[in-house]
This record gives sequence, C-alpha cells and structure tokens, in this order.
Amino acid sequence: MRRILAFCIATVTLAACAPGTTSGGGSAEQVEDKTLTYLYFTDGPDEQATRSLIADYEKKTGVKVDLQIVPFDNLEQRLQARLSGGNAPDVARLTDISPFRSDLLDLNKYQKAALDGQFIDGANAYIKGPAGELLGVPSDLTMNGPLVNVDQFKKAGVSLPDVSKPWKWDEMVTAAQKVQKANKTQYAIAMDVSGHRFSTMLSQFGTTFFSADGTSVGLDPQKATAAVKKFADLNASGVMPADLWLQAGTKYKAANEIFLAQQTPVYLTGNWQVSAFAKDATFTWAAAPNPCQEECGGFPGGKFMVSFKQSKRQQAAADFIAYMNSKESQERLAKEANFLPTRKDLIASGVDYPQRDADMKVFLADVSRTPQQDFATAYSPAFAATAKAAVEALGKVLAKSQSPEQAVEAIRAGAEKALKDTK
Amino acid sequence: MSSAHARRVKPWNQRLAPYLFILPNMLIFGLFVVYPAINNFNISLYDSRNGRDFTFVGGANYQELLSSEAFWSAARATVVFAVCFVVLTTVLSVALALLLNRRIKGRAFFRTVFFLPVVLSPVVVGLIWGWIFDRGNGLLNTVLTRIGLGQPGWLVDGGLAMTVVIFVGLWMHIGFYILIILAGLQGIDPTYYEAARMDGATSWQQLRRITLPLLRPTTMVVVILSLIAGFQAFDYIWTLTGGGPIGATTLMVQYIYENAFQSPIRYGLAAAASVVLFITVFALTLLNFLYGRRKEAT
Amino acid sequence: MSVQPVRPVQSPIKRTQWTSIGGGRVPSAGQVLTYAVLIGLTIVVLAPVVWAVLSSFKTQSELAQRPPALLPSSLAPTNYTEALSSFDFGLYLQNSVIVTVGATLLTVVVNTMCAYGLAKYNFRGRDVLFLVVLGTIMIPLQLIFIPVYQMAAQLGLVNSLWGLIIPPAATPTGVFLLRQYMLGIPDDLIEAARIDGAGEFRIFARIVVPLCGAALAVVTIFSVMWRWNDFLWPLIISQDPEKYTLPVALAQFNSQLSVPFNYILAMSVVSMIPVVVIFLLLQRHIVRGIANTGFK
Repeated sequence: MRRILAFCIATVTLAACAPGTTSGGGSAEQVEDKTLTYLYFTDGPDEQATRSLIADYEKKTGVKVDLQIVPFDNLEQRLQARLSGGNAPDVARLTDISPFRSDLLDLNKYQKAALDGQFIDGANAYIKGPAGELLGVPSDLTMNGPLVNVDQFKKAGVSLPDVSKPWKWDEMVTAAQKVQKANKTQYAIAMDVSGHRFSTMLSQFGTTFFSADGTSVGLDPQKATAAVKKFADLNASGVMPADLWLQAGTKYKAANEIFLAQQTPVYLTGNWQVSAFAKDATFTWAAAPNPCQEECGGFPGGKFMVSFKQSKRQQAAADFIAYMNSKESQERLAKEANFLPTRKDLIASGVDYPQRDADMKVFLADVSRTPQQDFATAYSPAFAATAKAAVEALGKVLAKSQSPEQAVEAIRAGAEKALKDTK
Repeated sequence: MSSAHARRVKPWNQRLAPYLFILPNMLIFGLFVVYPAINNFNISLYDSRNGRDFTFVGGANYQELLSSEAFWSAARATVVFAVCFVVLTTVLSVALALLLNRRIKGRAFFRTVFFLPVVLSPVVVGLIWGWIFDRGNGLLNTVLTRIGLGQPGWLVDGGLAMTVVIFVGLWMHIGFYILIILAGLQGIDPTYYEAARMDGATSWQQLRRITLPLLRPTTMVVVILSLIAGFQAFDYIWTLTGGGPIGATTLMVQYIYENAFQSPIRYGLAAAASVVLFITVFALTLLNFLYGRRKEAT
Repeated sequence: MSVQPVRPVQSPIKRTQWTSIGGGRVPSAGQVLTYAVLIGLTIVVLAPVVWAVLSSFKTQSELAQRPPALLPSSLAPTNYTEALSSFDFGLYLQNSVIVTVGATLLTVVVNTMCAYGLAKYNFRGRDVLFLVVLGTIMIPLQLIFIPVYQMAAQLGLVNSLWGLIIPPAATPTGVFLLRQYMLGIPDDLIEAARIDGAGEFRIFARIVVPLCGAALAVVTIFSVMWRWNDFLWPLIISQDPEKYTLPVALAQFNSQLSVPFNYILAMSVVSMIPVVVIFLLLQRHIVRGIANTGFK
C-alpha cells in the first residue's frame, strides 16, 4: 500500500508543472528549401482542380507542394495535434478557423498587396485579427439552396419558380407535396442534418444566430420559434425525414442519398453538391431559388486558406496562398469544381461555368438576395458551436422531448455561451 | 506486503534478470503511455480552449463535470453499456467456446466465421449495421414489414438504440473473446476428465465441477478485457448512431472526444473526464484483480 | 512459493486428442442442437459481411436505393478500379504490411519478456508495475492523444514508419494476457532448469516461450488486426502521402459534404482480405500446434 501511495505522490508532483507545448511561439526559424506542405480535405472534384493548379505552380516556381489530404472528420483533431507538437503544416484549408486563431500567420506580413481587401467584406470580421492582421483568405464561398428533381416535377405537372421570382415557403411545401404524391416518393423535402443548413431556414424566417456586427446574440425568439415550429411540423407530418436527424446523433449527415435515390423531389443543400450530382444523378435535376418567408436568399459558408506562425516557410506559404487565390486561379477552381468566387473583382466580372452554368447562376442570384446579417453570423467565430447546439435542440424537438420554445431558448443559450467562449 | 520469503539470497543474475526482462516494454510504455497519462492528469487542472494555451483552474473542471447534465448522461449510458456488454460477452464467449471445442465437423470454419467481424474496420461495421437498422429503409425492417411485424425505430428510440449498440458490439468483438476462452480450454488437463468419467460423472457434472472452475482464471481475463473494452467503446458507435438519438448512446469516450476535438473545444474538461473514467475503470479492475487473487490464494 | 515438494510435472507433452466437454461421444440430439446454434449464428455473423461485399459493387445511386436491393445490378469492379486508381494502392499496402509485421514482432517480443518478468520473478516494485500496466490498459488513445503525439514529435518519430511501429508496441493487453497465461506454468519446471544450470534467458527462450503457444498466437492475432486497422494514430503520424497506411489512405474519401460509400466499401473489402488470410493461416497453425504439442 505504501508503495502505491508513493507512486501517487510522485504522479502528483510530476503533474505540478504546467502542461507545456513544444511549439516555438511566434518566430519559427525560417528555411528556404522550396517545399511546402498543404493540408487539405476534399469534397470530390475540387481535388483534381487543386492538383492541376499546384502542378502549374510547381512548374512556374520550382517549389514542390506536398498535398496532404485528410478526411474532413479528423482534420481539426489532426491539426490540433500537429500544432501542439510544433509540427504544423505550412498551409491548410479549413472550414472553421476559430480554434486556431492564435496560431495563424498574418498574411499581410508577406502578401498584403495581393490579398488584403480583395475578398468579400462580409468575411472581414472573421478573417481579421485584433490588430488588422489577415489571418486567412476565404478561398471559396458556398451558398445554401434547394436542388429539385425536374423529372418528378414534370411528371406531377408542377412548374418550377423563375430564378428572379422565388417561391414562398408554403408554395414550396405545397409544390413538393404534390410532386411527392404524383411520384410516390418517401418524402417531399429533405435537408442535411446540419445547423448550418437550418440557419438558412432561420434566415428566411427573418432571424440569425448573431447580430449584424457579430458581437451579440441576434436570435429573435418569435421568428426563430416560427421557424422551429415549421421545421417540426414538416418532420412530424412526414414531409421531411425526421429519422435522418434522429439517427445522425451529433454528426453531420447529408441527405444526398435520399435525393439521389429519387425519394425526395426537393433537397435543401448547397452549391457544393452540383459537380458531384452532375456525375452521379441518373435523372434531370436543377437548382431552384431559395424559398422566401420574411426574407429571401440562402445562407453563406465557405473555406479558408491559412498559414501558421509555426511554419518554417512563411514567405513561401504566403506566396502560395496568394497564387491559389489570385483572380486567375480562383476562376479556374470555380469553373472546374463549381465553386462560387470570393474575390470582389471576380464577383464583379462573373464566372461562366463550363458545366451546369444555369444552376450556378441560381445560386449566385441567391447570394445577392441573402441578408447581410447572415454573413456576420456565418463568419462569426461562435458559429460552429452554436450550430451544434441547434442540431441538438432540434433533435430534441423531433423526439418530442422539448417544445419549439424550449429549443429556441436552448439555441439562444448555446449562442450566448459560444460568444462568451470565443471572446 | 510479501517479503517474508525473500530471505533466501538469490544469485545476482536472478535478481537482475526480471528488470532486464521488463525493461524494453516498460521503456516504451513509460514514454508513450504512462508519461502522457500523467500529463493528461496535469492538463485536467487547466482550462484550454484550443489544446495549446492553458490557464490553471485547479479543480474547476471536475466541479463543472459533476454539475454537467451531459456528463452524467454519458456516465449513465456508459455504465449501462459496459455492464450489459461484460455480462453478455462473458456468458456468450464461454458458451460458444464450449460449443466450438466439441468434436464437430467444420470447427475451423466456424471459428473463422466468428472471428471475421473482429478484423473489420469499425467504421465499416458502423456503416453496415446503420443500413440494416435504419427505420424506414433498413434491411431488417424491410423483412419485418413483409412478415407483418411493423417498423421498430431501432436507431430512433433511445432504448432500442442502446440495445442495437450493445448487439453490434458483441457481434464485432465476441470472436476475440471466444479465442481467449478456447486457449484457456486447451490448458485444462484432460486427466481430470478421464478421472471424472471413471467416477461416472455426467457431461453436465464435468462442466460444472471441472471445466468452469478450472476456466475461472481465463474467464477473469475475459471479464477484465471486456470491461475495459466496454468502457472504451466509441468508434463504431460514432458511425452507427453518432451518439444519438438525442444522446442516448453517447458514451464517455465520445463525450471526451467531442470536448477535446470539436468546437467548442474544452480540452481541460475532456482531460478531467478521462481521469474520472480512468479512475473508475482502474478501481473496478483492481477489485476484480484482488478478488481473483483471493481465489488463487485459497 | 519457492520451496515446495516436487510434484511430478503435470505433463504437457503427451496429449494427442482434443479436450471436449463430454470427452466421449456426444448424444446426437446435442450434436444437432450444437449445429443448429452454430449455423444460426453463422448466418447472423456472415449476412452483414456478405451484404457489404455485394454492396461494394453497387453504384452510388444503387446504394442510395430504398429499400435496398440485395444484389448489385452488375458485378463490374468499377468501384474497385476507380478507387484503386485514384491512389497509390501498392505503396499503402506495402506501408501497412511493414508496420503490421514490424509492430507485431516488436510487440510479441517485448510483451512476452515483460510478462515473464512479472509472472515468474519476485522483485521489488513488481506489484506496483503490474498494477500500472493493468491500469493503463484502459486508457484509450483517444484520451491521451495530444500528449502522446507531443512525445512522438520530441523523439522525432513523426512522419516515419517507426512512429507507427514503436509507440503502440508495449500493449498492456498483451502483457496482461501473457502474464495470466504464464502464471499457469509450474515454477518447478523453471527451478529444475536452473538446477540444470540453464541461464535465465535460456530458460525463458527454450522452456517458457514454447509453452505459451496459444497465448502468443492470441497476442499475435490481436496485434495484427489492431495495427492493420489502426486509424487515428497513423492519421497524425503519417503526414506525407508516402507514409500513409491503407486505412489512412482509405479515409481520404471521407469528405465534409458527401461520402462516396461505394469507394469506401470497395476499399474496405480490399483491406479486409489480408487480415482474413492471415487469420486463416494462423488459425490452422494454432489448431495444429495445439493438437501436436498439447501445450500445458
């Protein structure tokens, strides 16, 4: 017994010193070896486009870029470990930069002219540090919106709304139900299990998680409750697949399979599915404008390219990020992977897509209809945590263990906490 | 503790030998398990929102855990899961090993079959069973509907989801435990059976009086290993239910994983939870071990 | 423990038949029941696996089909060829084999030695050490992920196959299993060898190890399947694609927004095959080994 005690004491003594990280702080020793590591996750067609851009870059500059593709699920975990081991990649592509803010390199130090102020202003609150540092570059924009099964709409004799005259929520539901009946599909509307996708609905019902300046909770209880109620009703009546939400747990789950299997005529998702469906869908489909309620438009999202203070090749990393996000590169990437541009000049000149151009124009039209406040919410450092709380709260509503009012309260509380945590 | 019989002086090589034998293992072990574990305890006293910057908070993480509904929910689910898993694993692995130890045709075939799921990747296991148990479209409910048994919400109802998760755990791991018991059965001296047969003991009596008692040390191994596996279950559940519906199958490791690696990151809190988990399982294992030792002594 | 009247060593050596509960002939009703149970369970165990293999030939939209079809519309190996051609399968296979074989060898050697030290010697700190081993069995990597990684990074094991071989080698489970097993080996056997003048290591290598056949086989299988399917650790250790193992390479398909299950299934089937083959080979070997020598 004494020995065990002694062991315990030794353990506690050892533990008395602060947990150290091996990272070397802000000024990593720089090397020039003409190589770069780029930590990447892929959604499919973007990989090829990225590789071909990299190939050109290697030819032009002689820098060898090591593309390290990791599964999205483990991206943050892996990056966290590498940062704490003092072993960060030189460049990374992320959807959420907030857990890494204190480790990100100020790109303005190396490529201010090429990068600063070149991208949509909505993202500024998110990518700018307290002293105006440029911590990341929005490398593409996503826009949420519905995809519809055109074959099924035709068969049911239901017409689709014009791009410039979006339908109302109730019109969309009625239309979807008609199509459902005519085609005997399991559901009328399916939505990905995601707080981000639900934010689209919130936005259309006139509210968002955060206020327009992103500093406080902006969720309007009445409007949010209306949205949650609508969502709950649609699920309870079998218009939407409640099981999909309940069976997903706390994980993201796409409803793309249901749409691909033609079991729902309307699928609430976003532009990133376009290039994959162009390949996989065995029927005619199209993008439709987002439904309006109090507001029109969708909900934005996107990816970011960053480098790290730990990087031993900061100049090269910033150069590479500047290259990948130049007007020419972004246009190529957008065309090949059906991405939406983030550069102001590219948005102004427009992109002509070689495939599914009409669908992309629908998404672009929705970008301009999307309320500005949405950008503040989507680009809030507290968004990811709040979205997670929303998924949980909605699950409880669907399982009937919580009322819509309680769910809205839970989402509000989640947003408050997330804001406090990220301050 | 036990030094009374060490009086006889052993030659130096016998005194040195054990240390040399354990050295390589303990070295790797100390570096990659013990030290990080101590470090982990250390981290549990700090608050960290990104896993790299730390603020000392003392016992605050533990306090927060004790008052956290999500933690207790995960703790309850973990206990339910672990108890069911251990009991069923032990009973089934002994029963099946006894069956597989009989002189039957195709024994090697059956052993291989039962072992097959053990080698599958947990992700794939979760995926496949997810398709089978899906309420509306799953393979199982397709069959059940056809024979008029309705569509149970396997992964939609909390209790059923827990049952499914336990079942899939057994499906996946039982082959491994069967193998351990089989190895134990091989260690039982056949002369006991010969003697028993001469005394006219029935198969049942032989099972009760010889096989099961002599198998106890091996059974203990299975109990301890399955206990540990039960408290560690995570990856296939993550793909199968994601911890749902509404947290019903969120076990402790998932709770820790989510806090440590998903926004909002609470690295210190996760470390505290893992310390609690560790102490619990360690205490249980110790009890088991001491109990087993008493048996050995008598 | 040390001085005991010498009992006749209970004889490992001469058994030629398998033990079974009843030993003698089994009544046929029992036989039938046994087969019924085993065949029933075989179906439960195999059905999902077979279904997974069949599904690995389906296209993405076939997989999405509701209710699912039992058979794929064609057995064309499109998923296999497309998935295989999208990465350097040969290289990842080679890495996986090197890591699995290397780590298993190391594990078996260090675990067996350690188990022997803990089981058959009386020395200061033995019980504490054993409790530490036992205690750490229950620490999953998930829990101490970052500290372990920091250690590996400090030792320069990141981005090398050594980093996949060494850190997980000292499996407490293996030590525990082997120690429990060795407790059953009579001390007299070891004492007798000492009296004959055999050195400590010689006793270990020539007497103890051969008696642990079944336990070693279990640890080997355990280690093989563990290392082969290992995902989380290789994922952070192997950073360059040239250092990826199969599961890591496989998981690349897991994207944020849609997961091409058809590829994942196909690759899973491919990565499953080697372990099943190893098990089949080893399983025969264990059976024969036990039958011939009848250890213990």
